[in-house]
Amino acid sequence: MKIKTRIQSRFDIYIFFAYLILTTFGLLGIFSSTINQTGPVAYNFYKQFIFTIFSLITLYFVYKQSEGFFNNISRPLYIISIFFLILVLIAGKTINNSKSWLSFGIVNFQPSELAKIATILYLAKFLTERNINFNNFKDILVSASIGFLPTILILLENDTGTSFVFVVTIVSMFFFKGFNPLLLLIILSPLLIIFLSMFGIIPIIILLAAIAFALYILKPNIIISIYIFLFDLISSFFFQYIYNILSPHQKKRVEVFLNPEADPKGAGYNVLQTKVAIGSGGLFGKGFMNGNQTQLRFIPEQWTDFIHSVIGEEWGFFGSSLLVISFTVMLYRISKLFTTAHSEYSRLVTVGIFSYLFFHYIVSIGMTIGLFPVIGIPLPFVSYGGSALLFNTIAIGIILSFYKHRVSI
Amino acid sequence: MKAFENFDIPLSIKSKLLQYLLIIISSIFIVQLFYLQIINNNYFNLKSSQNSVKGIPIQPIRGIFLDRNLNILVDNSPTYTIKLIPAYFDTSKARLVEQALNLEPYIINKLIKANQNYSPYIPIRIKKDASFENIAWLEENKSFFKGINYTIELQRSYPIVSGSHVFGYLKEINKKQLEQKKDIYMLGDLIGSVGIEKTYEDYIRGEKGFQYILVDSKQREYGRYKDGAFDKPPIKGYDLVLSLDKDVQKVAEEKFQGLRGALVAIEPSTGEVLAFVSSPEYDLSRFSAFTDRKYWDSLLIDESKPLFNRATMSINPPGSTFKILAAIAALEEGVIDENTTIGCPGSFSYGNRSFKCHGAHGNVNVIHAIEHSCNVFFYKLIFKIGLDKWASYARKFGFGNKTGIDITEEVAGVVPDTKYYNKRYGKNGWTQGFLVSLGIGQGELSVTPMQLAFYTALIANNGVSYQPHIVKGYIKPGTKEIIPFKFPKINTGISQKTFDIVKKGMFLVVNGAGTATAIKMNDIPIAGKTGTAQNPHGKDHAYFIGYAPADNPKIAIACFVENVGFGATWAAPIVKEVVHAYFNKNKNTVKDSIKVTNKR
Repeated sequence: MKIKTRIQSRFDIYIFFAYLILTTFGLLGIFSSTINQTGPVAYNFYKQFIFTIFSLITLYFVYKQSEGFFNNISRPLYIISIFFLILVLIAGKTINNSKSWLSFGIVNFQPSELAKIATILYLAKFLTERNINFNNFKDILVSASIGFLPTILILLENDTGTSFVFVVTIVSMFFFKGFNPLLLLIILSPLLIIFLSMFGIIPIIILLAAIAFALYILKPNIIISIYIFLFDLISSFFFQYIYNILSPHQKKRVEVFLNPEADPKGAGYNVLQTKVAIGSGGLFGKGFMNGNQTQLRFIPEQWTDFIHSVIGEEWGFFGSSLLVISFTVMLYRISKLFTTAHSEYSRLVTVGIFSYLFFHYIVSIGMTIGLFPVIGIPLPFVSYGGSALLFNTIAIGIILSFYKHRVSI
Repeated sequence: MKAFENFDIPLSIKSKLLQYLLIIISSIFIVQLFYLQIINNNYFNLKSSQNSVKGIPIQPIRGIFLDRNLNILVDNSPTYTIKLIPAYFDTSKARLVEQALNLEPYIINKLIKANQNYSPYIPIRIKKDASFENIAWLEENKSFFKGINYTIELQRSYPIVSGSHVFGYLKEINKKQLEQKKDIYMLGDLIGSVGIEKTYEDYIRGEKGFQYILVDSKQREYGRYKDGAFDKPPIKGYDLVLSLDKDVQKVAEEKFQGLRGALVAIEPSTGEVLAFVSSPEYDLSRFSAFTDRKYWDSLLIDESKPLFNRATMSINPPGSTFKILAAIAALEEGVIDENTTIGCPGSFSYGNRSFKCHGAHGNVNVIHAIEHSCNVFFYKLIFKIGLDKWASYARKFGFGNKTGIDITEEVAGVVPDTKYYNKRYGKNGWTQGFLVSLGIGQGELSVTPMQLAFYTALIANNGVSYQPHIVKGYIKPGTKEIIPFKFPKINTGISQKTFDIVKKGMFLVVNGAGTATAIKMNDIPIAGKTGTAQNPHGKDHAYFIGYAPADNPKIAIACFVENVGFGATWAAPIVKEVVHAYFNKNKNTVKDSIKVTNKR
């Protein structure tokens, strides 16, 4: 017991254990959905397995590093990642409509995965070292452009899902650095309300109530409060106008999210099939390699973004819940570092890592169970993808390293 | 910006905010997972199996038709259908395939295009009824032409007789039929549409089998579902035993070559149809499995109307063959007896019209009136019977109603009576003069050859028989037992004495000095009656009704030949040949009956 406590004091067993469960689920899901396939896909499991081993080794080395090391490499890493993002736009390989891959022989490398970590590290460094004053417009602009430069490059690659991730990550880091929450509210609440207005009147009312509550907590002066509130209200009424600006393809996606059964063979097909796969899993699932939706390839590229449907079908409620609990434990343990982090730098890096993992988790699981629109982003540690696994593991390594140096409260 | 200055939330609250968000969202996920996987599990399970398990119907073998002596009349023979799976086929080889299989140029590309909206793993039929050479070629070049294969399907074949109007054909099921019988049929299924194929569809259809296979989202096959544990083999339809006699049918068909008309032969004691011909016939084998469009169109425009079933659908006045009915009515009603004579001066005047006889017969009794087909006798006779009495006797023999023969395309014909004329011409719009022509089977009386045949059978069997039918029963699988279908007994209630008298007359028609002595056979005495029906559109229609052997009838026949002239010249010889064919085969029975004849 004593030994265990001592290990726990230097190494967060919970995060590592959750990490092992998730990668194991990933390997099982990838094995099940690809091993009987023909063509290069059939090697996915072996590739992922090799990457898992390699990632574990990397995890150890990253864990061994100190905070200063990350601080030091953040700027060159950021520059390298921007270089790669530009390179991929010129010489990238298009996979699934996104030009986001660099091909190195047998290995395809996704620079956006590197950019995620690099941007978090460098933005954190910039925000802490320069002692940014968010009341200064110039400071806001410079720090925002550090975050949004890679975001725009990724958007140009046609990888909308990942650019979403960047926005969420940058916004949370700003929020934790002390960016005025009221300003955030002013910027974000109309966007949120437009998004929610697609789901009918009840979510809007709930959100308006939440905004009213936030305004009450934040206590700005009464006139500003009324302005913000009215602005949100008006933007929700302008939804119809904005909705009409959307291209038919985008409209269709939104409609399909709202009612997948309406178009079962078209865009809603995947959502429906995923729900069928997961729903038919039952309590303990159909068994490893026994999911007919999976084995019969009803969902395209199940080993990537839709990997949860494989687990839900073959391992049932038991498997899916374990997946959700593992993520929750991992993210909760990471969030503990918000208050116990050794420095503001490590806190901001932790916030960035937490946010992007959290967002991936919400979207990737949420879309497979019909709670979120289909945004093509993978489930961290679980979905097939070597570079994603490697950089997500590095992120965990950074967190574990920070944990080592945390302050106890 | 002053309002926003110095405004921040404490770190602990920010952390708590995200932690709560995490816990709430994870809880929602768990609840939703519970809802999908536990509460709605059954629904999604069903969806999932419907998705990925596809039942491929296996068509059952349709029951075949046997004649009364169990010779196969309608059989199933294998036919090859060549199919193409677009996903596996290299379209650059399309021309080669088209040439080798004698297909229309560019048809493969057209078919692939036409099926573009379906999964490329669903096979497309490119050639139906392929020849053995085609299959041999395909087997040889299988590895080069990937994605092309063939399946064996069964189609009807007719080894002995044509029988087009009896057997009928199958057609692809239409929307209306499909809606009514959704649980049995599927789109594209063939269903009996005419003849016995239609009437006995439920017996001969059998039951579809299913093979369950696993398919992926593109309908690509992945193997058997649970190793075929749930597969259902198809159940073969019942074989039907027909009352037709292949030899009689064959001869009747041959004799009608080049003629238009119909012949129906019935076994008098049972109502079983021994031969059923409507001419011209059409080639049923070109209808089997897939209707040959060009052939169908050619049949539709053919002015001899080969698709028209003359035996049960054509209605014409029966001419002198109906004199027997008038005689029966008169005898039964007591207006004449065997010895009553009526004078025939060669013509009959009614009002200011004169109706001719073919000769002056002098004073004739009913037997000789039949023998010589004396018109004047019957002109006068019908006035003695009265219209409605006469009509009621006609109905007793089934005229004016469908006979109930077991093919559905049948019409009732017309037996005029007072009610009919009143309706047609008004109460005062017609006179008793209308009766004159009815007496000799002309006028508005119209009958089908089928009705005439049954009438003949009833006369032959002294007024008692069974509803005429072509199918005797079906063969029970396994035991091979023949399960007979039951048909209602029909009794005219007419006295034996009356039949004895008219049958004497009918015997003399062929064997005395009557109108059909030319067909007299010494070994098998035929009794009958000729008829020639005037036809305003051309030459007269020829009729002959008859049965044989005269004293113990085994076969009763009505023969109708369109637009040729005298019944005695055209129809009677056909009947003779048919009788000959029937008894030649059953020589023993004939001899027996002859012996009896000699004793008497």
